[in-house]
Amino acid sequence: MEITLSLLALQLVTGIALGAIYALLAIGLSLIFGMLTVVNFAHGAFFMVGAFIGLYFMGLTGNFWFSLVLTPLVVGCIGLVTERFLVRPLYGRGIDYPLLLTFGLSWVLIEAMRLAFGVEGLPSSTPPELRGAVDLGIGYFPKYRLFLIFATAVVVIALWLFLEKTRYGLIVRAGSRDGEICRVLGIDVSRVWLVVFGIGCAIAGLSGVLAAPTRAVNPEMGIHVLAESFVVTVVGGMGSLVGAVVAGLLVGVVFALTSLFAPELAELSIFVLMAVVLLVRPQGLFGKAGLMG
Amino acid sequence: MSGMNEFIAFVRRHRVAASIAFLLVMPLLMPYQALAVNILIFGLFAVGFNLLFGYTGLLSFGHAAFLGVGSYLTGIGMVHMGLPWGVAVLLGVASAALVGVVMGYLAIRTRGIYFSMVTLALAQIVYYAFYKAERWTGGENGLRGIQVPKMEVFGFTLDFLNPNTKYYVILAFVAVALWFVSRLLASPFGAVMEAVRENEKRAAACGYDVDRTKLLVFVISAAICGLAGALRALHLSVVPIESLHYLLSGQAVMMCLLGGMGTFFGPFIGAGVFLTLEDVVTTMTRHWMAVVGAVFMFFVLFFPAGIWGSFMKRLDKSS
Amino acid sequence: MSVQPILEVEGLSKHFGKFVALNKVTTSFMPGKLSAIIGPNGAGKSTFFNVVSGAFPPSEGRLKFNGRDITGLAQHEFARIGIAKSFQITNLFKQLSAHENVRVAVQARHARYQIFKPRAAMTEVADRASELLERVGLAVHAKRPASELAHGQQRALEVAMALAAEPELLLMDEPTAGMSPEETVVMMDLITALAAERSVILVEHKMKLVMGICERLLVLHHGEFLAEGTPADIKANADVRRVYLGQG
Repeated sequence: MEITLSLLALQLVTGIALGAIYALLAIGLSLIFGMLTVVNFAHGAFFMVGAFIGLYFMGLTGNFWFSLVLTPLVVGCIGLVTERFLVRPLYGRGIDYPLLLTFGLSWVLIEAMRLAFGVEGLPSSTPPELRGAVDLGIGYFPKYRLFLIFATAVVVIALWLFLEKTRYGLIVRAGSRDGEICRVLGIDVSRVWLVVFGIGCAIAGLSGVLAAPTRAVNPEMGIHVLAESFVVTVVGGMGSLVGAVVAGLLVGVVFALTSLFAPELAELSIFVLMAVVLLVRPQGLFGKAGLMG
Repeated sequence: MSGMNEFIAFVRRHRVAASIAFLLVMPLLMPYQALAVNILIFGLFAVGFNLLFGYTGLLSFGHAAFLGVGSYLTGIGMVHMGLPWGVAVLLGVASAALVGVVMGYLAIRTRGIYFSMVTLALAQIVYYAFYKAERWTGGENGLRGIQVPKMEVFGFTLDFLNPNTKYYVILAFVAVALWFVSRLLASPFGAVMEAVRENEKRAAACGYDVDRTKLLVFVISAAICGLAGALRALHLSVVPIESLHYLLSGQAVMMCLLGGMGTFFGPFIGAGVFLTLEDVVTTMTRHWMAVVGAVFMFFVLFFPAGIWGSFMKRLDKSS
Repeated sequence: MSVQPILEVEGLSKHFGKFVALNKVTTSFMPGKLSAIIGPNGAGKSTFFNVVSGAFPPSEGRLKFNGRDITGLAQHEFARIGIAKSFQITNLFKQLSAHENVRVAVQARHARYQIFKPRAAMTEVADRASELLERVGLAVHAKRPASELAHGQQRALEVAMALAAEPELLLMDEPTAGMSPEETVVMMDLITALAAERSVILVEHKMKLVMGICERLLVLHHGEFLAEGTPADIKANADVRRVYLGQG
């Protein structure tokens, strides 16, 4: 197969679009971890729920944009309920417990989707407005992939503004379950935990609804995505939003390019990347040495 | 009730013998034989996992890799290399231990909360590698044709296909493993494991090489889970690709917590309860994963010491 | 004939990002003495303690123990070569009994990686642990979980665990922190007794305590070396008085 420039560029865009999804997922994970010190093992499940619910709303209303806005809200609400009633009681106990709980939750969510939508999954399709390709000079690029990248960029910028420019964002950035800063600013700490967990899950749900047109939507999709988000997090460094974005894009591009040149090794390639990072720089590309030590 | 206390103390001192005694009669309590064998195998799997999680405090989500490697290498040894079953089992265990060295080395380089994520991801490498190596592993269809009709042991010929014989042969292996685990936990190293779990910094200040301790436990844990995998290959005569799947890693976690992490026999109880529950629930509904997940969450929230662990705590309080 | 210092630091610096906690500190401690590192809050005492006790390596400079360069040595090696410490914030095995805490510390010296021998059979380890508990006055609490001990008793337990390493050099970070006056007296007596048989270096900010019992003081200020000498020297030192003016 001849590798032309346009083919390479196309695969690069595919990789960046994939990376955009990974970046979103890693950002959600990082937010939840940074604020609550909880590794959300249900993150992949929330992604999957987002994909299912997104398709459901689209089927119901025929409107992709409506689904795009509503789905994260719904998934975020599930996140709020989860934090309030399932995770919060475990904070005193040690970092493993919320992790274990979210792991159990993921099983329930997977089965819930099987119950609601069947074992086979749902057929997904690209929304009509975003079908087709666009000629950008060097070649034709799928509209939807470009939209994905654009939408992710918008979300990341919005998040950045929220974290850097607002008072609430300051608290989230200051991080940790310490509560000191919150008390100083007169904000209820548990409310902050609740909201951050909700936002993290909402972002996972959003990445699900965005990703749905690009892959098979079935109850198992969250499991692979969970492992892949962990790879991104290790490569980028937990607790770093810049790291999440850079690592997400890197992993996506590595996967896409390996699929082009050595398709057999595509899935392995990103895990090998993680292993290399672990050997050379265990704290991740943007992580601080001794973080979590 | 000091007679009762004495009895309990006696049982605890001779925990290996007591466990084996229980396992000898367990098949009589089970509705059918295959469930009993499964409990043996997964009980051993959970015991191996418990060494790392319950006793050393490291939560791995990649232990399916060891079960799977143990199964596959035993199968490959017999099917592709024509090895006798005993040698093949050794190959399985050794291979699992080797994978444990590599995975452990990489995972321990990370700190704290990363560990669970990294072990999950590293196990995925093993999954994909075995999935792709179709010539050796059969890929998606699994490895088939592991035949153990007759076993030559100490001059006796055993019919492995007889369910009773199969159970007691596997029990023999499990018994040896339990004896080893018991010695390990009672040794000075056992105290080091628990010290690392309780307070790593403190353990280091006392002079213990925490990283080396973790790696050693990781490898031992991998070997024991590898043995469980090897036995599973003999039992099923096939190795399904699901043996390496993340869901199986999750099952080890669940069994361990349900039964009682950091207790000697808890993991077996956990495996028994988990597998029996799975058996019962699947007759009532297809959605057993939701039921098990909900039960697990309930335990995490309200009974983190698990069934056996809570029972042990109750005993300690009253004595 | 000059005696070799037991601990020396040369040009020791420690940065946390842009923040300079220690700046080129050079000094030495003589064996057999009870020394203290003092200074106002933020002087860098804790950072200095953490570096010389092996919690983390310095950013620059060298650390020497009995003439041997131990810069960057791993934490667990420190106990093995003869440097033991007690932490500023009590750091014990909370769920284990007092005796078991010390037993684990003693075991580190003798039988770390034994896999097969039952530790219950190692009576010499258990006996030594009992001895140490006796030494710090906790023999009666041997079976109680460490979490149930009073603050002063927990601090004493820390000392017992540090002694288990049979150290030549004992480092103690604010040993009387959070103690009542009665507990403080008991601890200071213990420290004085220990200093008779080995080298002890304390970090303290209670000036009255150290002036009374220490033979040598090192004063740090803003992470830098300010002065060193006997309590009399330090009291007379103009720089020190300027820095401490108004502070007890």
